Amino acid sequence: MIGILNIGLGNVQSVYNAIYENGYDPIFVNKPEMLTDLSHFILPGVGNFKAVTQRLDQMGFLTAIDDLIERGTPTLGICLGMQLLATTGSEGGNINGLNAINANVSAMIPTESYRVPHVGWNEVHFTQAHPIFDQIKDKRDFYFVHSYHMECEDAANVIATTNYGRDFVCAVANKNTIGVQFHPEKSQKNGMKLLENFCEWDGSL
Amino acid sequence: MQKCVACNLPETYETIEFDEEGVCNICRQKVFKDEKIDWKRRAEMLSRVIEKHRGKYEYDCILPFSGGKDSTYTLWYLVKHFNIRPLVVQFNHGFMRDTLLENNRRTFKKLGVDVISFTPNWKLVKRLMLEALVRKGDFCWHCHTGIFAYPMHIALKYNVPLIFWGEPSSEYTAYYDYEDDEIEQVDETRFNRFINLGITAEDMYSMIKDDYQCDPRELTPYTYPNLRDLKKLKYQSVCLGSYIPWDVKANTKIIEKELGWRGDQVEGMPWEEYPYEKIECSMQGMRDYIKYLKRGYSRVSQMTALDLRNGRIAKEHADKLIADYEGRKPPSLDLFLEYLGITEDQFNHIVAKTVVPPFQPDFKGMEYAPKTSDFERWYREDPEDRGIIVKKLL
Repeated sequence: MIGILNIGLGNVQSVYNAIYENGYDPIFVNKPEMLTDLSHFILPGVGNFKAVTQRLDQMGFLTAIDDLIERGTPTLGICLGMQLLATTGSEGGNINGLNAINANVSAMIPTESYRVPHVGWNEVHFTQAHPIFDQIKDKRDFYFVHSYHMECEDAANVIATTNYGRDFVCAVANKNTIGVQFHPEKSQKNGMKLLENFCEWDGSL
Repeated sequence: MQKCVACNLPETYETIEFDEEGVCNICRQKVFKDEKIDWKRRAEMLSRVIEKHRGKYEYDCILPFSGGKDSTYTLWYLVKHFNIRPLVVQFNHGFMRDTLLENNRRTFKKLGVDVISFTPNWKLVKRLMLEALVRKGDFCWHCHTGIFAYPMHIALKYNVPLIFWGEPSSEYTAYYDYEDDEIEQVDETRFNRFINLGITAEDMYSMIKDDYQCDPRELTPYTYPNLRDLKKLKYQSVCLGSYIPWDVKANTKIIEKELGWRGDQVEGMPWEEYPYEKIECSMQGMRDYIKYLKRGYSRVSQMTALDLRNGRIAKEHADKLIADYEGRKPPSLDLFLEYLGITEDQFNHIVAKTVVPPFQPDFKGMEYAPKTSDFERWYREDPEDRGIIVKKLL
């Protein structure tokens, strides 16, 4: 069973719809004990790093998600969901994340030509092959909306980058865990394929 | 009009572009097909696709089938080379010709396959023809949407995920470019890109419902099934021609020899040179005639373009065939006007609005092409049935 985290923060319906259209029957996960039945777990985006981690902590999700990742369940973080996988985040203070990816999340610095938030379609450059990229061509456009980005301590975790004034990490992987900064659920054909690839992935490389 | 210096196709041809040498993109992608595509790898992919599905469902695949050269070759190839068990699905648009039906009967019996045939409501077909003609100058919406949507419904009903089509569109147009080196997916994206003229069945229903007594369910055969249902089925809808290099002339020779497949006279075509193309439909001459009025070329140009690309015809001979055969009225025009209940003046007026610049048609002074040998057997409506039955307004 494919579970989508729903703790009452942010838009989760578009992720649900994209998975549903792909032919699957996902469920919303709003209690930690629901995680034990999942074949795949998705942390959707939208929200504030501090607010979401606090809510996850209050609801008892933090250790339950740690356990799920430890069990090898394929896990996909989207946008903020990706950022939550990091060791720490700087949005709202210096906050501890799930530490599934050895990384820190920091604010993007705007320049004259590159405003923040970064909103729109940009090319995703694969830096490593990964099962979630199966049958998707390199340098295709995906849809982004974010003000923070992930900085990885270990380059081996980076599987794709995007240039927005400078290159930043837009997709990461560590064993059964993947994070994407862009919104596959809003990225039409290639995004749909990526979500399908995730749902078909057993978490191994 | 600018024409490709290699194949003669004009600038009014869909998706055409010319390079600095004046050669078109269709010619260039054909060179790519011949020289760059790894056909050995593609053949291995074909085996994998077939073996993945073999024996797991009631049928190994759905095989949409008109009985023209491409679908006949596809069926023959898959049965003979892969011993596949297909469900042959025929969408009968209502204009199938005698030779074609005889070919089909022989093919099915010789190959030993299961076949289902579907023919939609003729009265609705006429109304759809009129609407698509008025809106797009292309009356074939009912057929093209039906051919590509209906077999997908059958795939769902029979729970058969693999659907095998024949010729890839890259042979003729650049909607899907051989140079992308991808397997052309015959899916809803493709359906919306160039099959349905930008008109979905839901659109069509709302376009005709005010004057035509119609239940929305009647449009189902023309409606692409839900993506979710197809995805749940894990469908794979592909062209045989994406896995083996397509060669129309060679394929035709094979089915003539192996299946006794016969060509036919097609209105407006040189019957000696091109007896194998588009023999399925008694309205083919009308389609080609409208194409000529809108774009200044017809099927003769398309067929000679293929032969020019393959180095099978001299440019002078192609030019002569085009000059001799294009721009003639098909005798089926009279039948067509009777079906739709319009006059030739009304027809010309409708088509004039959809002409593709810079071509300017001359509606007057066009001679009739000769009648085909089966013309007198083509369906002719009784006077009381002619035209569209308009709903009684309350």
